[in-house]
Amino acid sequence: MIKFENVGVVYPGGVKALDNINLEINEGDFVIIVGLSGAGKSTLLRSINNLVKPTDGDVFVDGKNVTNASKKELKQIRSDIGMIFQTFNLVNRSNVLKNVLTGRLSQVSTIRSITGLWPKEDKQIAFESLERVEILEKAYVRGSNLSGGQQQRVGIARALAQKPTVMLADEPVASLDPVTSRVVMSYLKKINQELGITTIVNLHFLDLAKEFGTRLIGLREGNLVYDGSVDDVSDADFENIYGRSIKSSDLIGEDD
Amino acid sequence: MPQQPVQQRILKYTITALIVIGSIWSASGLEITLEKILKAPEQIAILVGAMFPLDLSSEAIERILPKVAESLFIAWAGTVIGAVFSFPISFLAANNVAVNYLSETTKQILNGIRAFPELILAFVFLPITGLGALTGTLAIGIHSIGTLGKLSSEVIEGIDEGPLEAIKSSGGSKINELLFGVVPQVMPTITSYWLYRFEINLRASAVLGVVGAGGVGAELINQLRFRDFPRAGTVLVATVVLVLTVDTISAAIRRRIIKGRSIKV
Amino acid sequence: MINLPKKPPPSLMVFAGIPTAVLFSYYCFFKVGFNLTDFKENLENRYLVTDPLFNPKWSWAIENASEALVETIQIAILASVVGCFVALPLSFYASQTTNQNKISYFLYKSFLNLVRTIPDLFWAMMFTVAVGLGPFAGVLALVMFSLAIMGKLLSETIDSIDPGPLEAAKSSGASHNQSVFTSALPQVLPNFTAYFLYIFELCIRASVILGLVGAGGVGRIIETQRIFLRFDRISPIIVLILLVVILIEQFSVWLRRRIL
Repeated sequence: MIKFENVGVVYPGGVKALDNINLEINEGDFVIIVGLSGAGKSTLLRSINNLVKPTDGDVFVDGKNVTNASKKELKQIRSDIGMIFQTFNLVNRSNVLKNVLTGRLSQVSTIRSITGLWPKEDKQIAFESLERVEILEKAYVRGSNLSGGQQQRVGIARALAQKPTVMLADEPVASLDPVTSRVVMSYLKKINQELGITTIVNLHFLDLAKEFGTRLIGLREGNLVYDGSVDDVSDADFENIYGRSIKSSDLIGEDD
Repeated sequence: MPQQPVQQRILKYTITALIVIGSIWSASGLEITLEKILKAPEQIAILVGAMFPLDLSSEAIERILPKVAESLFIAWAGTVIGAVFSFPISFLAANNVAVNYLSETTKQILNGIRAFPELILAFVFLPITGLGALTGTLAIGIHSIGTLGKLSSEVIEGIDEGPLEAIKSSGGSKINELLFGVVPQVMPTITSYWLYRFEINLRASAVLGVVGAGGVGAELINQLRFRDFPRAGTVLVATVVLVLTVDTISAAIRRRIIKGRSIKV
Repeated sequence: MINLPKKPPPSLMVFAGIPTAVLFSYYCFFKVGFNLTDFKENLENRYLVTDPLFNPKWSWAIENASEALVETIQIAILASVVGCFVALPLSFYASQTTNQNKISYFLYKSFLNLVRTIPDLFWAMMFTVAVGLGPFAGVLALVMFSLAIMGKLLSETIDSIDPGPLEAAKSSGASHNQSVFTSALPQVLPNFTAYFLYIFELCIRASVILGLVGAGGVGRIIETQRIFLRFDRISPIIVLILLVVILIEQFSVWLRRRIL
């Protein structure tokens, strides 16, 4: 489904973020990527929808070459890939419904979106997405009036509204407390299982990774150092990925 | 006992010295003597005294009220011109929306327009559009494009780029990013700037009458020239009432815009 | 079928406000005589202005307007210094953070608001009648102008400072004035300086115009030349003023970087 072929990313200034990544992710996988800050997790994720363009190699999504896609093709590919962010990235002044509808922008003509005359089907899709993350009743509430966990659920709904085949999550729970984090992660897992959406999540909480992941990928300084089932991973493997022993800040823990 | 770093103290003393010397130089150059300063309060009191009781005859009101209204119309029309044209221009001047050389050039053009006070612009338009309210409107309008353009571009430059990334990652176009990411974030602040500009433009339009570009200014200067102080007083009071009313309403609307409506569920 | 939440009624301000604003705008444009055909015709006259405007007579300007330009700058310096420093104590009285007396606060705040409502040129007109024609009237007018702006800006800044240090000073037994002086004033000094520079710049621009009503500065020259459409003499004067304004702007940016 997703294929990395010799992918390398060097940022202007010489920083090597990814080094010769070869990776294959199958349809329906629930993959969790762990690694220290700066290990390349974010870069890896963003090279899937070409928000970051690899300097070497190619990324393929569903057989299509994302890295060298034309503008038009890229838009098409992106509309099938949903993404959620650590900072939620909602438009704070707009209400929840408007935020979720922005997920339909690639499918709706400009005029319709400006005037607010969204086609009925798109509105229906938006409502259904909100229902799936159980936040439908807040449809007309302003984004900034929601809690962090609620905002992230709206983010998930927005991504769902795209009717994506792939879901990318860049540190989705880093700013949330343990209980809320588990709620969000379970929504992601539920969506993966019920809708079969290939899901890739960046996390830096190791216990959360073990709790929710099926497949684990470890990055260290831009290199792929671990790729296997979550059940097989040991503390020693984590230490190898991190290059140091595990600290308490690497675990999300329980809420007291 | 630790003291302020020497460099900072020298700076402070130099500035204070500059201010004091500058003021003394100015005062002597303008021939402002202590005598004049001491006489001033009395002279002002005499003038104010001569204004009361105000001339509230129907004749006066008939003359003054339309002019006061005219100042209002000029200020509003000018602000509309400023708002409508500055909005698209501000996007061109924002360095996170437009390419660097385009935004720099636009900013310089806006600075150029801003530099000219409304009165000077009115001067330039007078021979073209003649005496009257239209000249005032154009002068205020064009100056407003300059100031509003700069302020709006600064608001645009200060937005959170996160929502834009979200739209981009979902396959949205650049236009989508602008309309759904930038505009919702900047509209409240920019609209409040428009209203604030309206308050300032109202004062400017009152003044433009002095050069014949419409509004109460002409009335005031005429009354003062003819020594008709009660009537001049009426003009002043009418202006103050208008400005105060507009200021208060505008401030209330601006507060509401920034705060926004909250819906509890 | 899912239960759709109720859509809130459209905001009154948007629903009623925007159409009103649009209609009012049409009305205003009508009343000020905006007429596209007339306007196009008028634009044909633009050469009356643009020809001389882009033909500046520098030597004339330097010879005849230098004195008046200096006068303009002197008016601005004096007026901004006096106005701002007088506004400093007034602002503390016009802020609830430093003035708990409701009546006195109301009086000071209303005074500042009132002064703000009168345009600078109106002040100039009145002062020329009261103290006579000449730059003294101009200085007085711009003192009111500076006072009003500094008063509003500074009092709003004082409104938002941390009241903590102030309380601390008072609880240690210091008098009201002492506490304000030691604990509130230092917090707003950087803002005061920034506002002062801003107001100084505004005063320079404003004092160009004072001469129109006989209150000193280049305004008088500009007015006499304008009547004869001698924009070729006016444009160099304006450019010189703009240069001064730009210099001051650069200086204030440099200064702000040093202080803050």
